[in-house]
Amino acid sequence: MALNAFKASEPLSMGIELELQLVNWTDFDLSGSASDLLHLLGHRTFPGDVKPEITESMIEISTAVHHSHAELLAQLRNIRDALVRSGDRLNVAVCGGGTHPFQRWSERRIFPNPRFNQLSTLYGYLAKQFTVFGQHIHIGCASANEALYLLHALNRYVPHFIALSASSPFFQGVDTQFDSARLNSVFAFPLSGRAPLIFDWREFAEHYFAKMEKTGVVKSMKDFYWDIRPKPEYGTIELRVCDTPLTVDRAAALAAYLQALCRMFLQRDEAPPVEDDYLVYNYNRFQACRFGLDGVLVHPKSNASQLLRDDILATLVRLEPHAAALDSVAALDQLRHEVIGEGNHASLLRQHFANAGSVQGVVDAAVTLFRRGRSR
Amino acid sequence: MHRARQARGADVPAREPTHLIHETLHGILASVAWPAAIATAWVVGELAYRLLSLPRISSYGIAGFAMAASQGGFLDNPSGTPVALLAHFAFGLILFELGYRINLRWLRVNPWLAITGVAEAGGSFAAVFILAQAFALPMVPSLLLAALAMATSPAAVLRVANELQSSGQVTERLFHLTACNCVLSLFVFKAVVGYWVLASAGSAFEAVWNSLVVIGVSVAIGAAFGVAVPALLRQLGRIDRNATVAFAAAALLLTAVTHAFKFSPLLAALAFGLVARHRRAILSQAQRNFGTLGDLLTVLLFVFIAASLDWQQVRNGLTLALAVIALRLAVKMAATTLFARPSGITWRKGALTGLAMTPMSGLVIVLLEQTRHLKLYALDQVAGLAAIVLLLEVIGPILTRQALVWAGETHPREGR
Repeated sequence: MALNAFKASEPLSMGIELELQLVNWTDFDLSGSASDLLHLLGHRTFPGDVKPEITESMIEISTAVHHSHAELLAQLRNIRDALVRSGDRLNVAVCGGGTHPFQRWSERRIFPNPRFNQLSTLYGYLAKQFTVFGQHIHIGCASANEALYLLHALNRYVPHFIALSASSPFFQGVDTQFDSARLNSVFAFPLSGRAPLIFDWREFAEHYFAKMEKTGVVKSMKDFYWDIRPKPEYGTIELRVCDTPLTVDRAAALAAYLQALCRMFLQRDEAPPVEDDYLVYNYNRFQACRFGLDGVLVHPKSNASQLLRDDILATLVRLEPHAAALDSVAALDQLRHEVIGEGNHASLLRQHFANAGSVQGVVDAAVTLFRRGRSR
Repeated sequence: MHRARQARGADVPAREPTHLIHETLHGILASVAWPAAIATAWVVGELAYRLLSLPRISSYGIAGFAMAASQGGFLDNPSGTPVALLAHFAFGLILFELGYRINLRWLRVNPWLAITGVAEAGGSFAAVFILAQAFALPMVPSLLLAALAMATSPAAVLRVANELQSSGQVTERLFHLTACNCVLSLFVFKAVVGYWVLASAGSAFEAVWNSLVVIGVSVAIGAAFGVAVPALLRQLGRIDRNATVAFAAAALLLTAVTHAFKFSPLLAALAFGLVARHRRAILSQAQRNFGTLGDLLTVLLFVFIAASLDWQQVRNGLTLALAVIALRLAVKMAATTLFARPSGITWRKGALTGLAMTPMSGLVIVLLEQTRHLKLYALDQVAGLAAIVLLLEVIGPILTRQALVWAGETHPREGR
């Protein structure tokens, strides 16, 4: 099956997918409740879309296509409220966070559908260990080539999204010392990482993808677990490095940040991406996963080292006119506040661990935060 | 003193040496009987689990029944012995855990669930009472049987669910409805006992004492533990490791205290768990079942339950027993199915919830044992009860397990 034609979409439109955790209210372990919750949600009008994910303890929600941060946020809040209400009817708590702090992957149940069963057979324990929760942000592109350009122009900013969204410090019951331990689970997959540097869609589809398909390794774009991948059916690029934040407000702010960055790239003010940019890509990515906002980035063009925190603040300043044009100043202010003041959600979770003294207390806090909506 | 020694001195040579050996041996055997029975039951449980994939607790029951003296085995009736107290402690731990898993807020948010609980328990009471009357049972035994038939045994459902690591709506509802019907059953049982005391002894004071006061004080003591233990743990800090031991020790103390003062250890343990949960002291999953301690005590508990039964009692009223089991199952399944859709699950999961609620043995035996002081020999007096207990001790866990498996809520590869 050849790659689908790239369906052009409204430039800079955006949409979000969030993978969420279903936990029980008693000991806050993951609860195999996706089928039950989806059954209940199937009976009412839901303000968005909701799908099963690979294990019975996850669900994925997605928004419609939006142009403004305010609309996106409003829909996300409605979705959250509907989920929380339905969860309450079934005694299931819903929360964000990139990993569940103490679930044992061996105890997970694969959601009963053919694709998930097939993935489980292929990847074995990796599939269950993949019980991690990410946020995917889609940005609409006017053309396929524009999509490939944006995808690579973003390479230097991928660590920003990792650090800003990081909410998975705990994994299998211990503090991993990583702000985003979730991405380590993604790395384990053979087709993870970055997309090849190709700017022309025809070349991408006819040479790269067709060749890969001929090897028998991939059947569709879905088989690539890249950090950013094109989504031809939607006419978007999809950024996949973010942990699911603890609040939908943070999720919407991250989407607005990506939207503003893309607007800046489309003005072609920055030097175009080249293959050598990727020399530092994995190292920078690691710094963001490991140290979050305190990571040190190496600039791919100048090779200068800079604190991730400072790089984000400088970028936020450069984005101000774009945010004004896109009506997302409030969202970027929220991120600035995160960088300067309260820190990312990984540090928030560590504080809760220090206060509660147990990983169960961490999930308890995450559940409350998701319902209430704001971190303060 | 001197004369006594003389008398004893004169007594000893008079005894046959073989007699002395026999007596000593008997004493040794008696002290070894229970540990040996537990070990045997455990082996039977593991074998039957592997070869026949029978739930372990069903096998413990069969083994216990076979080893009981009334069936020609070596286990004396444990009623009133320290083994009984240990079994009560085991049951107390289970009730604590059940209470701990109950989210009262859920019953408020989803009132259909609370309605299901009242309907299935009330329906079971009414149906079994009418059936018992039709079988020409006298009034008080009919009422007692009906009250006991309301309840689902928490020991069986918790053990089976934990053994299968099941999670989902059938599991959650099973726990909540079990807690509901246990409480309702205990209340009605105490009320019937009150009525019976009033009718037989004519003492209004004793009647009120054995119902209202026992209920109120038991719940109050349990609730006090539920407030005090988490508070103590918070004072000590870093609770995650020590919480299990602390809660187990507290449950032991609670069982002993309420038992000594003839209150209801069952209600107290349930109230303890419920209040402790809502005071937000969080136990981790590894502590479900109270770990190895819980596993060991479970063997003892299920052997104890079945060893309390006598084949003679079982044979009396077997027909009534079968009728009660079938009717009770039908009523429970009808109620859980009827309210399934309004409460947010499929008809099928509703029906499976009712099916999973079949067990009732554990609660009956422990409850009766704890009301021994009232000279209420229900196993003898209520026809069919012993047969129900024995049959459901074996069949109940099997049905619960099947319901959870059919609901797709179990882990494909069974753990532990």
